[in-house]
Amino acid sequence: MSELPSPGAPVRRRTVLDAILGIGIFSTLASFLYPVWRYVIPPALAEPDTDSVVAGRLAEFRNNSGAVLKFGTKPAIVVRTPDGQFRAFNAVCTHLDCTVQYKSDTSQIWCACHNGLYDLSGNVVSGPPPRPLEAFRVNVRGEPGQEEVVISRT
Amino acid sequence: MASFKRTLLVVLAVMAGAAAAAAQPATSGCVTCHAGLAEARYAAPAADFGGTDVHRERGFTCVDCHGGDARATDKALAKAPATLYRGKPSPQAVVAVCSRCHSDAAFMRKFAPRQRVDQAVEFAASVHGQRLATGDTAVATCTSCHGAHGIRLVSDARSPVFPLNVAGTCARCHADPAHMKGYTLPGGEPLPTTQVADYETSVHFAALTKANDLSAPTCNDCHGNHGAAPPGAGSVVNVCGTCHTVFATKFALSTHSQIFDRGCVECHGNHAVLEPSDTMIGTSGDSLCAGCHSDGDSGFAAAGAMRREIDRMKAAIDASRALVARAANAGMEMSDQELALREAFNHLTLARTEVHTFDPAAVSAVLSKGLAITTAVDQAATAALEEWRFRWTGLVASVIAILVTVVALFFKVRALDRDHGLRA
Amino acid sequence: MAGRAIVAWLDERVDLSGLRHFVAEKTVPVHAHKVWYYMGGLALFLFLVQVATGILLLLYYRPSASEAYESVKFIVSTVEFGWLIRNVHSWSANLLVLIAFIHLFSTFFLRAYRRPRELTWLSGVALLFLMLAFGFSGYLLPWNELAFFATKVGTGVAGAVPVVGDFLVRFMRGGDEVTGATLTRFYGLHVAVLPAITTVVLALHLLLIQRQGMSVPIGVEKRAREGVPIAQMPFFPNYVLRDLMWWFIALAIIAALSVFSPWELGQKADAFAPVPAGIRPEWYFLAMFQLLKMLPSHILGLEGEMLGVLGFSLIAVAVLLVPFLDTRAARGEPNRPLTVIGIVGLILFIAFTIYGYVAA
Repeated sequence: MSELPSPGAPVRRRTVLDAILGIGIFSTLASFLYPVWRYVIPPALAEPDTDSVVAGRLAEFRNNSGAVLKFGTKPAIVVRTPDGQFRAFNAVCTHLDCTVQYKSDTSQIWCACHNGLYDLSGNVVSGPPPRPLEAFRVNVRGEPGQEEVVISRT
Repeated sequence: MASFKRTLLVVLAVMAGAAAAAAQPATSGCVTCHAGLAEARYAAPAADFGGTDVHRERGFTCVDCHGGDARATDKALAKAPATLYRGKPSPQAVVAVCSRCHSDAAFMRKFAPRQRVDQAVEFAASVHGQRLATGDTAVATCTSCHGAHGIRLVSDARSPVFPLNVAGTCARCHADPAHMKGYTLPGGEPLPTTQVADYETSVHFAALTKANDLSAPTCNDCHGNHGAAPPGAGSVVNVCGTCHTVFATKFALSTHSQIFDRGCVECHGNHAVLEPSDTMIGTSGDSLCAGCHSDGDSGFAAAGAMRREIDRMKAAIDASRALVARAANAGMEMSDQELALREAFNHLTLARTEVHTFDPAAVSAVLSKGLAITTAVDQAATAALEEWRFRWTGLVASVIAILVTVVALFFKVRALDRDHGLRA
Repeated sequence: MAGRAIVAWLDERVDLSGLRHFVAEKTVPVHAHKVWYYMGGLALFLFLVQVATGILLLLYYRPSASEAYESVKFIVSTVEFGWLIRNVHSWSANLLVLIAFIHLFSTFFLRAYRRPRELTWLSGVALLFLMLAFGFSGYLLPWNELAFFATKVGTGVAGAVPVVGDFLVRFMRGGDEVTGATLTRFYGLHVAVLPAITTVVLALHLLLIQRQGMSVPIGVEKRAREGVPIAQMPFFPNYVLRDLMWWFIALAIIAALSVFSPWELGQKADAFAPVPAGIRPEWYFLAMFQLLKMLPSHILGLEGEMLGVLGFSLIAVAVLLVPFLDTRAARGEPNRPLTVIGIVGLILFIAFTIYGYVAA
């Protein structure tokens, strides 16, 4: 059988072991708690922008202007007509999928690829596109002076 | 007394018969005889006219085109010269019969105000009209395409001149070698009868029939309706350019517009207009450029340059797509990059349009914008993959921490066991 | 120390003597098969991991057909460490079911269900079924293609039950087809109904184990009756630290799986898309699924699928009733035939699961 262990060595070994154990458990816990802490803090983009997206501040849109922005995985075009109304469409041209843009000299939506032209209701005026642009809903919401333009699918 | 009753009965019967005859519609005379005839040649017109017919529905009758007396039930009386009966009009007479109303603006305004009234004039300028004037009765006249009885509106899907049916109607003559025998092209070669078959292989036909795009061209969109004639080599660019405006503009400014005899047709064909592909550009054996250009001339170099640029763009987009897919698959958010790749692909489409200037510099300018986009996308995707790698490293670090703890626990447990005498 | 002062303060108000006795006195038997003891604690730990990660996922998940997929995509791509939480939840779920099965088979072969532990066995089997229900309901929640069709097929199987089959399908699906209604129903099941039931059953299971102590193999019990005392180890700290070691190993496995084999999200569910080729349920349902696929459509005039479902139900009932069927174990005697049945069952389960993978 074993002799009585000498007091010095095993205690030191055990303290080292305890220290390693303590550090191990602590660092493992930290490696769990840190991600959880970061997780519960909301990300910059607060919610998935699937069905609606903020196009910008009301003041950013002058009459007779348009802008293309990201809506989900496809581009959308938001247009402010010469008389101040908002229209929004799927900016994917129905001909060969190029991205359309706003032409302020004729107040039409134009596709640079093959000269497709759409009116401000999304209907095809001339050129190769076979179908009109898919229309989205536009709403303005927010405090007066800080209104936002919101595009949504339905 | 009995004889009075009998006379009265006969008089009443005759009166009833006459009244009945008078009460029936005016066509009854023509239709009554013709519908009962055994020969289809005579019976069919009456049957067709009795079905869906745009003229009958507006109150026109057999008499309005053929003359005759509809109320007479006797053939000789119905078709007496005094009735202005003209029978089946000869091919030359058909145009006159139809245009009597259809070229009269005041008359047409009463029924279809928007309809044109110059069809006869156009027809006279067409190949059909010109040949008819020389006595060729094999050519098409109004009734060849529109029918004579049972005429439907052009917008009626069952009309022979509804956009989807036009090619079939033209094919009735133009795809029939027996019918087209003897006709020649301006150069003297026999007129081909393969146009409709060729057309049915084309993208225009596919757009019309499969994509249900009724604005896609069929025979009359390039050849004209009533004034039908081949456009002529010099006007091909204009004809194609009525829809393909951007290409026509670019082509018109290019060197080839001075050189090509038949404009767009030289590369794209006239009836069998197929889906264009990048193989058409370049210097390899199956390219169109190599058909005229050979090694050493500037066109050859330009063709090679343009093709190389386009291939480079395609490769860049494919590589970017693969990289983005990898990053997306690793769970990184890549929708901005996917959108940018769309834009890059747009530039490829624009470049393919720019090819029609046959100027490598112009094509390059468009593509360099696209390549800038793919470069940016590649950077973003690589950054995302690096972030993923960072996570991977972080996770490996925590796994090591866990394993260290496990080992420490193992030894701790052994030590405790020893303390409790569970182990030597 | 501060710790002692707090304990004393609490002891004055809430009598902690029971707890102190438990900590100081509770022991665990030591013998050759004690490794299987850790399986139960491991299952408990993994369940707690599921609860924790599940609650975290709840903070961002949206249970509607138009938002579920997007919210999971949002979690894994935009929320910081969302990918980690989701992967831990998915992998830990699989590991939990695996450990639960191992726990079931080990207690079966060790006859731990024998008198007086029949209730422990019943509650344990119930817990296994609850874990399977958790797995089935949770699988649909990302609303992706694979999950949608797996749910369609899985709920469709219920239609094979005679008499109440159609009602069962409608009840499970929240309608005739798998739709957003199914999603909300499964969500309610997954986060409210099943956790509530599990809490009660788990509490019962743990209480019984505390009251009755750990079961020992029949051989050890016999030797104890003959005078050989059963070695014991203190629950705290020896057993607890060993338990912790197993838990940490499980964590390492989950972390490794999360990195090297992350859970894909796939495509969003589309009811009108054709069924993707090779559709199959998760591995713990695969054996059943494969067997059902292999059954002929009609056996002796009765629908094959119905017989299959009835067969599985009978097996489930038999498993539940094992403590009452195995009279020999109650007397402390070995039961060779039952062991053989168990081994054959296990082998068949593994074989059909593998076959299910290979056949796809």
